[in-house]
Formats: sequence, C-alpha cells, structure tokens
Amino acid sequence: MQDFLDGLIEQGTFGHAPAQVVYAIGIVAVAAIVIFGFVLNVAGVTTFIERRVWARIQSRIGPNRVGPQGILQWLADGIKLLMKEEVIPAQADPRLFKLAPYVVTMGFVAAFVAIPFSSALVAADLNVGILYITAVTSLVVVGILMAGWASNNKWSLIGGIRAAAQIVSYEIPAALSIFPIVLITGTLSTQGIIRAQGWAPWSWFLFYNPFTFVAFWILFTALLAEGNRTPFDLPEAESELVAGFVTEYSGARYLFFFLVEWGNLYVISAVLVTLFLGGWQVPFALSDHPVVRNLLQFLTFFAKAYFGVILMMWIRATLPRIRVDQLMSTCWKYLVPIAFANFVGTAVWVAIWPNGNRPVWYLMTAGGFALLGYFFYRVGFHLRRSGAQLLLSPFS
Amino acid sequence: MSLAGFEVEVEQVGQSGLETEEMTLNMGPQHPSTHGVLRFVVKADGEVMRQAIPDVGYLHRSIEKISEKVGYHGFMPYTDRVDYVAAMFCNQGWGMVSEKLGGIAVPKRGEYCRVIAAELNRIASHLLSVGTMVLDIGAITPFFHAFREREKINDLLEELCGARLTYNYMRIGGVAWDLPPGYAEKVTAFLDRFEPMLEEYDDLISANALYVGRCAGVAVVSAEEAVNYNLVGPNLRASGVRYDVRRDEPYSVYPELEFDVPVGPGAHGVLGDSYARYAVRIREMTESIKILRQCFRQMPDGPVIAKVPRKFKPPAGDAYIRVESARGDMGWYAVSDGTEYPYRCKVRTGSFAAMAIIDKLSQGLMLADLVTVIASLDIVAPEVDR
Amino acid sequence: MATSFATYLRNIFDTAATVFEGMAVTCSHFVRRPSTVQYPDRTAVRVQDTLPFRYRGILEVDLEICTGCLACERACPIDCIVIDAPKDKQTRQMLLTRFDIDIAKCMYCGLCSEPCPTGAIHHTPEFEGADFSLESMVRRYVKEPVAAYKPKKVETDPVVAPILERGMRYLEEFASPDGGPTPAEPDEAESAA
Repeated sequence: MQDFLDGLIEQGTFGHAPAQVVYAIGIVAVAAIVIFGFVLNVAGVTTFIERRVWARIQSRIGPNRVGPQGILQWLADGIKLLMKEEVIPAQADPRLFKLAPYVVTMGFVAAFVAIPFSSALVAADLNVGILYITAVTSLVVVGILMAGWASNNKWSLIGGIRAAAQIVSYEIPAALSIFPIVLITGTLSTQGIIRAQGWAPWSWFLFYNPFTFVAFWILFTALLAEGNRTPFDLPEAESELVAGFVTEYSGARYLFFFLVEWGNLYVISAVLVTLFLGGWQVPFALSDHPVVRNLLQFLTFFAKAYFGVILMMWIRATLPRIRVDQLMSTCWKYLVPIAFANFVGTAVWVAIWPNGNRPVWYLMTAGGFALLGYFFYRVGFHLRRSGAQLLLSPFS
Repeated sequence: MSLAGFEVEVEQVGQSGLETEEMTLNMGPQHPSTHGVLRFVVKADGEVMRQAIPDVGYLHRSIEKISEKVGYHGFMPYTDRVDYVAAMFCNQGWGMVSEKLGGIAVPKRGEYCRVIAAELNRIASHLLSVGTMVLDIGAITPFFHAFREREKINDLLEELCGARLTYNYMRIGGVAWDLPPGYAEKVTAFLDRFEPMLEEYDDLISANALYVGRCAGVAVVSAEEAVNYNLVGPNLRASGVRYDVRRDEPYSVYPELEFDVPVGPGAHGVLGDSYARYAVRIREMTESIKILRQCFRQMPDGPVIAKVPRKFKPPAGDAYIRVESARGDMGWYAVSDGTEYPYRCKVRTGSFAAMAIIDKLSQGLMLADLVTVIASLDIVAPEVDR
Repeated sequence: MATSFATYLRNIFDTAATVFEGMAVTCSHFVRRPSTVQYPDRTAVRVQDTLPFRYRGILEVDLEICTGCLACERACPIDCIVIDAPKDKQTRQMLLTRFDIDIAKCMYCGLCSEPCPTGAIHHTPEFEGADFSLESMVRRYVKEPVAAYKPKKVETDPVVAPILERGMRYLEEFASPDGGPTPAEPDEAESAA
C-alpha cells in the first residue's frame, strides 16, 4: 500500500500536498473501504449463514423470510439492534462499560491490516505480519474483562474472568504452532509465507511434514479458544451465564460484540489459510492479466477462508462445551507440550532438509486425502442407516 | 444477612494470606437452563461451589387442592399438568387410585391401551430429558434431533387422543378412546425408524469425549445415598439399586410383558455419576420399544373402559398407588369421604425428592457442573411444585 | 494426578476419533431434507385439514341438535361453559337463550363432549383462536333463543339429520363399556359412562 501511494505521489496526483497528509488520508480511506466494504458485511452475512448452516444440521430450515432466501436477515437484525434502547445498569462503571465494545472492536479490526486478500491487495505488508496479528487480537481480552467487570453483574464477571484466563492461556499454543511455519519460511510476513507455498494441496504447509499437520490442528483449536467459540465458549455459555460478559449490553454496544465474534471467525480462518492452506495461490497458468489474476486470488482466498468459517460453525453445532478446568488442562497439559514437540521437530526437519522433503510432502497429502475419503465414507454410512431423504440444495 | 429466608454468611476464606470472599449468586427463576422455573442461591468461591440452595414454589398451582373442587372425573385433565412432560403417567396414577378407592377393575384391553400410551410417553419424556441435558452442556444439535423424534411421538399420541401434551387420555375405569384403525402399523413403523435414530444419537453425542468429560464422574451418588435421599427412577437405577415399580410392585399388565430394567453405569464413567443417569435413560428407551412391540402383539379385543357412574362416589377410605413414571416412582394418595369430591389428594413426585440432593451434591462442584447435575437428575419444575 | 503415557495418547485419540464421528453425523444431516415445514404459507395443505379426527381444538356447538341437558356444563372441570335453558311458560318447551364458551378458560380436555347425547358440542380442528381483545375469547353460540332439540328414534328433518349423523359419528369415537351411543333421553345420558 505504501509503495502504491509513493508511486502516486511521484506522479504528482496529489499536487504539492505533503506526503504525511497523503499517507494519513490513505490510511483512513483504506480503513473505510476495508471496514465498511468488507469486514462489516462479512461479519453480518456470517451471522446469517451460521443460522442457515445450523438449521440444516438440525433438520430445520433457518431464516428464509427477510428477503430472498432470508439474505437480508442480518441487515434486519443489525437495524433492530441499532434501534434498541441502550440500557446501562445503574451501578455499572459507565466509562468502562461504554469503552469496552470499542476496545474489542479495535482489537478485531486492526487484524485486517496484515491479512492479505490477494497478492496485491493487502493494507500493509508488514514484515512482522503474523506477530502483529497475534499481538493485536489479544487486545480483545482487555475489552472483555472491562465488559465483565463494568457490568456490575456477578455472572458477567465470571464470564469475563473465564474469557481472560482462556484467551491468555491459549495464546501460548497458538504462537508455538505458528513457529514451525516461521522456521520453514524464515519470514513473519503474511505475503512471504503465502509466496513460499503453492496452489496445489501438495505444496501447502499443511502437509509439509507430520509436525506441521499436527500444528495446524493445534492452531485451529487454540484459535477457536481465542475466538470464544464452542467447544470453548464458556465466557458466553448460554445455558449457564445467560450471555456471559455481554449480558448487560443492549443495542448498538451489543451489536459490536456480536460483529466481533462472528467477524473473528473470518480472521481466524484467514490466519489458518495464510499459514497452512496456501493462501491466495492460484495456478500461474490460469491468467497473465494482473487484474484477473488478482481477482482469482481474492476469490480463492475468500473461498478457502469461508470454508474454514463454515467448518467452525459446523464444529459449534456438533460439540458440547468443556468446563473451565478441563479447558486449562487441555491447554497446558496437551496442547502446549505437543506444540513444543512440533516446534522442535520442525526445527530438526528444517535443519536436515532445508528445502523440504518432497516425498514426505506427497505422502502426507495422500494421507490427508485418504482421511477425507474415510470421512465421506462415514457420512454415507450414517445417511444409509438413517434412511433419510436427501436434499443437496442449500436453498429451501 | 438474610437472603430469601436463608441465612447467608460472608466468610473470609484465607489461603496464604490472600483474603477472599465467598460470592453469593442467584441462578434465578428466569434462566435458560433450569428446566422450568427453579431458583438456586449459589454460594461460590470463584468457580467452585460451596452450596447450592434450591428455592422452589415458583410453579405452584394448587393442583392438589383443585381436586377437592372438581371431583374425581373432572380432576383427570388437571393431572396432566402435574408433570406435563410425562402426562400419561399422571393420568394413569389418578385413574388407578380412583379405581382402587372405588373397587373398579379395568378391562384387559384398556390396560394394554394404558401401557401403550404410557410407554410412548416414556420415550417422549426421555427424549426431552436427554435432549435438554446435552443442550445445557453445550451441544445444540442433538437437542433438535431428539425433539424431531419427539414430534413424531406427539403426532402418534395426537392421533390417539387428540392432544399433544396434555392428553387427558385415561379415564377412571380405563381409557377414553380405543386405538384408532391402523394404529399398530403406524407405531411399529415409527419404532422401526426410531431405533437407528437412537444409535445415531449415540454416535453423535453419547460417545463424544468432550461430553463424557463433562458428565463422567460428576456428582456421584452412591446407592446408599440414593436410597436415603429418596431418589427414584433412572436416578436410583444409575446408582446401582435395582428397583423399578413395574417389576417390584407390578401393576396393570406389566407382569405379562418381558423387559429388562437397565441398572448401573454407562459405557463410560462410574456408577452413580451423571453419565450413568444419562445412559440409563437411553437404555430405557430401548426397553420401552420392546414393551410397545409386545403390547401390539398381545393385545386382546374387548372394551377399553369399565362402567363407572357419572357421579362417582367411592366409599370412604384412602388409597395409595405407585406408577413408574418417566421420572421414577410417582405415588398418588387419595382420601375419600364418601362424596363425589375427594377429601384430599396428594402426589409424590420424583423431582421433588431429587431437589433435596442437589444441595449436597453441589458442594465442591464447579458452577458449570450445577447445570449438569440438574439436567441429569431430570428435574422438571411442574413436578416439583405442582 | 499422573496419567500414564498410554492413557495420555488414548485420550488424544479418543477425542479426535469421537469428534470425527460426530462431525460425520452432522455432515450427513447437512444434506438431508429438513423435517420442518414453513408454516403457514408454505405448507402443502392447510394444517387444520391434516389433523386427526380426534383432535381437540376449539369447541363448537351445533344448536340444531342441542337438547339442553346441561351435561357438558356439569362435566366441565373449569367452568367455562355457561348455558341458560329456561322453560318457555307459554309453549312448555325448553328454550336455549345462552350458550357461552370461554375459549381462553377452556383447557381442551374433551370432558364436555363425552357426555353429550347427540354430539352437539364437539371439538373442531381449529386451533388458531388468538385475537386482540378479551371479549372475543367468549364464543356466544346463541344468536336468538331457539328451542332445544327433542331427540327422536329416527330423525327425518333434512336439515337436522346430517348434523345429527355427524354428531353421532363424533360420539362413536369415544370408548364405552358396551356398544356405541344412541341419542338417548337427557336423564339416560347422565348415567352413561
């Protein structure tokens, strides 16, 4: 982005305006485009798609009245929330209470700076991209704790404290699982990591070696915990704490928390796709023209990331939530030691085969596809046993 | 300080010089997971509970008193509301106690109709129980699958008696309607489709390691404790006590039917924990399927109701009977003074007794486990408060 | 508490395997036909037409065959039926001047339709009774005073006969200790089960 603006300044597009002013306006413009054009819409549509996905898994239909196939449901929900009265509890700490949603949103939106959409579309190709994303998403903890404390509600407090413990703990296995990739590519930059992969599954880091395969699942679990998603959604456990740390929030403030939770799904997925699933890589042969190629890359990245989002919705529909002490023991007794083992293993691997071990890479890919095949076999078994009618169309 | 009549102390619990306070939380009458309007005053030290004091009475509707005003026949629809999840058993209980008072014998086919309706209702009630249990623990999908099957049972019972929840199917002396034509085929077809669904349910959630981790070993009730605290039904059988009213004090046509009584721990966990209570219910559904198939094969022809005068005046006296409801041993006691209105009627329900053990079980459990305990004991508020 | 390495590995494998199986089940649900139907506009037929004959919906009274025996008013456990059936001084005939059913109070138990000798009061498959005013909850079935019905051995009136036939068919659904019901005299209806 900075190079692009520098080029425009040299061409004299902005007259004699000082560079700093151009940069400032550029930042605001990009932020506005990304946030209003992409982030909010994706977060909103994700709420709608989640409800439709859950409904099909639960043998029902889901919202389909507001607009064709219910596609405007999220807009209706958003407008409704904006129009609701914003209640602040009498004994609540007003400043913290009002500030919390913004802190949480800041932590979430700031992550989009380093998330690449295609090879040319990235707000800032930081050379510490992944580190930046990990650091900035931790800001969400501060907001959640503020929300839990400032609500003056014991249940919210418990929710907030659980969230803090959970997010802070799961930073460790998340970071440890990112390290193998950094070791392999030698760079923290998101674009750099994607460029080190290829378009085909057998050139994705997911199958690079058994250690990265396990690291993918550990990162997936840890990021689920960071995003407060089932099976780690204790902070907002509906059946225990009503709504956890957001119980006292209503109206626009609740909308912010809402958007952050669902938008976070996309961020989590984007991180996973960047690190392990080949990012926006498309076969070079598909097109030469930069605009078409970038468009294809954008679509590929978006499709992969959105598949990850649907996977997370699917997991939320399937699994129960685990208790706080089980959460802690999963993190510290299982995920951290295994992540360490992956880290050491990858370090040894890279030392032995600096350019990757191609046969193992292919073998792992074959194993991955075999696992996928077995999965669909089990799906078929359940379909046959239940004797149910099929309806493959997502529209109903 | 006094909280809802309970004396609550604020203690300073000090460990290594750190002064902490016990928190008193209110898991109030409006809560997404207390299975009706129940209230608990929870004294917790962080996440670990010290005590959970139940506060009942939010759903009290004076049903027992109403019996004194509406008479024996008129009270039958009210019994549906005593436990609306398993209403057939309440109907059966009131029918049986009135028949005992009045010395009326129910014809054989009527008894079979009663058992068919009751066992279908048992399956429906257990589906609701396990569905809401997994929902409280966080899995949202199996709840819908359980209710999808329950909807089919509701449709069957709607065909039988015209209503889906408050059946009012049984009358003093038998049942109100005979089975509609083609009913046996419909129910058998449903049972054939239902058994693989139960297996699918097991694959989805019963074996799930996360679910087992939440339930296994949580709130273990030993056999002695279960007997001392008056637990009944699946709660008692999960603790290892082999007592089922259908076997030990048989009534109706149960002596002619062959079925097992599931006792003991499930595939995971220990004897008497929440997972065992869940597993016993799942297995009981399979037994009910067996009973239903047998009933349809063995049913004789004949009338389904005995002749009972419209103004039913049983001789003065009292009677107590037990039925094995979905929630356990449900006792009905009626006192007659010779008029057509009972002098007093009393229901003894399993959920009311189960509330008493929650206080003891919750000591040392985490907050998240309180929900598991309530759900695994299958407490429904209408039964607790009547 | 120390777990052995074997148990540790077993836990990991169990978790992964059961989650895998659970995901397979939900994935299989994803491609199945949903079991719900969009109510009310996308149902194939009106729901009321799919309900079984015994369905206990909102009550209705066929005044043409009501004998004024008040058996339903006596049987109702919640006192939602109010009937005025005075004897007309001049014609010595029983008149029905009021027949109100409060459907908000009614608990749809069916105890009123059982003792009816002709099946005049019966449940319909109608269940949508929601309205905005409390007054609309009281259904008044008598518009102007009518004479009560006198049951005959064989009904010949072409208007009343089909109504009576439908009423008797409704009553036949109910079980009785001996055979089906006949349009009995009011006092006989009292002692029937």
